[in-house]
Amino acid sequence: MKKRVLIFLIIGLVLYYLDLSINSHQDKDIYISDQEIISLITAWVSQVGRTPNDNEIAKIINNLVEEEILYREALNLGLEKDDRIIKRRLAQKISFLKQESIKEAFTKEDVLKYFNDNKEKYFIDSVFTFTHYFFSSENKPEERSFKAYADLQNNVSIDSDPFLLGKNFVQVSFNDIKRDFGEEFALSFNAPQLNSWLKPIKSVFGYHIILITDHKDGYYPDVSEIYKTIEIDLLQDEKSKALNEYLNKIKTEYKIFINPDLKI
Amino acid sequence: MNIKSIIVKSILTVVIVYFTFLGFIYFDVYDDRPILSLFKKLQSNSALEIVDFSVEKSESISQKPPPNPDRNPYYGDLHVHTKYSFDAYVFGVTASPDDAYKYAKGEVINHPLGYEMKLREPLDFYSVTDHGFYMGMIQAYADTSSDISKNEFTKPFHNLNREENLTVLSAGERSNIFSSILGAAIIQPYPDWHPKIIKGWLTKNTQLALKSFDYNVHKSAWADIARSANEHNDPGYFTTFIGYEFTTSTNVEGGNLHRNVIFNSSKASIRPWTRIDSLNPEDLWTWQDSLRDKGIDTISMPHNSNGSNGEMFEMETFYGNAIDREYSEKRMRNEPVVEVTQVKGTSDTHPLLSPDDEWADFEIMDIRVGSRPPTYSKPSGGYVREAYLNGLTLEFTNQGNPYKFGLIGSSDTHTGAGAFDESNYWSKVGLLDGEPENRGSVPLAEENLEMLNEYMAAFNQPTSTIKLNQGEYANTGFTQWGASGLAAAWAEENTRDSIFNAFKRKETFATTGSRIAVRFFAGYNLSSIDMNSSSLVSEAYKKGVTMGSDLLSNESETPEFIVWAQRDKNGASLQRVQIIKGWMDSNSGRPHEKVFDVACSDGLEVDPVTNRCPDNGARVNISDCSITQGVGSAELKRLWKDPDFNPNDKSFYYVRVLENPTCRWSTWDAIKRGFEPREDLHETIQERAWSSPIWYIPASTDVEVVPLGGTIRLRDFN
Repeated sequence: MKKRVLIFLIIGLVLYYLDLSINSHQDKDIYISDQEIISLITAWVSQVGRTPNDNEIAKIINNLVEEEILYREALNLGLEKDDRIIKRRLAQKISFLKQESIKEAFTKEDVLKYFNDNKEKYFIDSVFTFTHYFFSSENKPEERSFKAYADLQNNVSIDSDPFLLGKNFVQVSFNDIKRDFGEEFALSFNAPQLNSWLKPIKSVFGYHIILITDHKDGYYPDVSEIYKTIEIDLLQDEKSKALNEYLNKIKTEYKIFINPDLKI
Repeated sequence: MNIKSIIVKSILTVVIVYFTFLGFIYFDVYDDRPILSLFKKLQSNSALEIVDFSVEKSESISQKPPPNPDRNPYYGDLHVHTKYSFDAYVFGVTASPDDAYKYAKGEVINHPLGYEMKLREPLDFYSVTDHGFYMGMIQAYADTSSDISKNEFTKPFHNLNREENLTVLSAGERSNIFSSILGAAIIQPYPDWHPKIIKGWLTKNTQLALKSFDYNVHKSAWADIARSANEHNDPGYFTTFIGYEFTTSTNVEGGNLHRNVIFNSSKASIRPWTRIDSLNPEDLWTWQDSLRDKGIDTISMPHNSNGSNGEMFEMETFYGNAIDREYSEKRMRNEPVVEVTQVKGTSDTHPLLSPDDEWADFEIMDIRVGSRPPTYSKPSGGYVREAYLNGLTLEFTNQGNPYKFGLIGSSDTHTGAGAFDESNYWSKVGLLDGEPENRGSVPLAEENLEMLNEYMAAFNQPTSTIKLNQGEYANTGFTQWGASGLAAAWAEENTRDSIFNAFKRKETFATTGSRIAVRFFAGYNLSSIDMNSSSLVSEAYKKGVTMGSDLLSNESETPEFIVWAQRDKNGASLQRVQIIKGWMDSNSGRPHEKVFDVACSDGLEVDPVTNRCPDNGARVNISDCSITQGVGSAELKRLWKDPDFNPNDKSFYYVRVLENPTCRWSTWDAIKRGFEPREDLHETIQERAWSSPIWYIPASTDVEVVPLGGTIRLRDFN
């Protein structure tokens, strides 16, 4: 009797495992979450403008099921391998994931650190107020400007030319000076000497005698003044960094083979 | 009465009531003058929904310079495409609006072919203006994970920009897709009974009725463009405008009527008004007027009139009706400036229209925009000088003057980055013209020649190569494109408001990429100003009018002009300054034009008989593109009086500033690769600038001044 029971037990077990291995039920189960259905219905509503009826809901679910089945069968056949489109999409997905996984709320320390690392970006340009006598390259600029420079010391009135962009420049930045007069001219503003007429300076337009009356050094602003701006930049930066970091970390695990004799 | 007749009667009643109701709805919806327009009242206009796109940023703390009452020249580009344009994406461009603005501020971004693009000098303002229709959509078609890409019609786009496709090899495939979209803007509508059709009708949003369209994708692309513009706007230092391109055309013949629209606000409509809403530019202006009523100011700026087959500046309306005062005023209210120069050629004038202008043959592009196969574009109706003259004619016949616009330039780049420098040129459509062989400046290598021929055959295009001395060249039309142009505005400060108002005043000028600056004034007492005084400009503003304005007659006094031009500090010296005059002979009713040289370089004098400067001797050495040193002027300044002035003639005057000749991009391309320049192209060009005109209004007309953006001075000029 006991023997029979044992034999049945063994046969039963064998059948059970056979069944398991032949019809792996887990692979053929499709679970559809409430959330998935609800989000599909919501999308439907927003497109069509009303709630779907039972028939339509059945159709939506049916489509979803069919898609899932086709997808699984394709996987079983290994169709995803060597498909450029799928590779690219998956690569996109993981990059997106890595970029999105960063936290959006930064602590004060994060912001401060980013600011310190990228200080140059936030540098407030030095600002100048100056006036100038201009001697156009159309009319003996060098000769006239040096004569005028001498006359200035003796309080003789100066015969100069008008400059198209104006005579007086108020609170203009170093970059603006470069833009309006050129690099060579802007050099004179590197170590500004206040309230005295400077020796004629050359620009592509002619010669200039300048008088700088006000100068504010460039400076790094206080973090609190530009907190929001730094935060926006930090977020952008973290997003692009996240992917690179991930790639660098994982890259070392891969070996890459390229035909060294390839002719291009 | 028996039951049977009751049933018959009630059935009949129901049927009659039903059809009456249907008829009522039909007329209510479709009749031009519906009796009740009940259903019309249900309609809302989705294009008039306003969204505030401003971003939360720290207040700029750097002290911006105070406004300059004499105004500064600011240089920018108001015509830039990024990945959101249906065609930029097809051209392999993946630059975002953020990339584009970074480029404008002087940073490096990458060309689709992999090389770096950088400006020689940052720009002062910039606007990303992607094509409004299908904005963001092609990108969604190409992304095979998007819902919309599951439709059959998106197939050609699938993964078009995948890495292995980012080579010139795919050029044929790409250009074919481009023209097939332009040709069929409205594809795949839903059937009439579909709820989306009704929703589209109720919200005046045809786009909703198209299967090819995903409104959410479209809105989010537009929102990203607006966000980026607002994020990069930095009052006092760098100005941006939310903008897009209204890419419309005539129904037949493919006449290009493209316009860019920019917003003077961090707020904008929830979606751009596009050619899917209407092909007729008048409907665009109606939309702009309605936005203005809601407090959102916009301007639209036509471009590539040269490729419009003469349709941009027609003597009639879109539907072929006569132009009337209302049309003229509406057009001028919304379109104060026109883009006269860009990569696809210059639209100042054409040798056939101005046979007496020796400089008319400049960067002429003579085919219709986007035409396949390339088709000739009729010059008349496509160039601004003729339009100014036709405007006078229209005014003469009491139709108002719809062509009283100012001038700007811009690039129309599709890579996010404008190419303004002849010696560092990448044209505009990414993979299609990103290297010299493709754009036809050096001969094609054997295998590329074969490939090009195969492609052209496969896509049913005419042969597009030409055999010349040094070999066979691509001849697909890119040789007519060039490194142009910039928009320049005289504004008090570099802020959105200040620069936008300069466009509305038409106090603008256009350049071919060079940073020439030009001032221009007219008045009756300008000779009283000391031309050598530093108060010259402020006096001229006080005693006269500047570019873009009207000068009213002062009895029969002859007006005086002050013109003052300054060279680009990185470019070539100036060769001459000209005033171009157009007028309407008040006796014969015929238009005329004349080009006067008014200031010559190197102290040379204008010949009073020919009105021309003598040769200043500046030359270009074609073997290395070096230019004669020490010739030409850094600035040219002149007080000028019109020798042929007739106080009864309606007329206009605008300035053209010419640099000494320099190498054209095609010459640079050739010599850098060890070839001679192509014998059938211009070897050199003269970079130039055009001011907006000043219009002279004779007293004899009943002063029909259309109220424009420009300033009208009804005051004593003394």
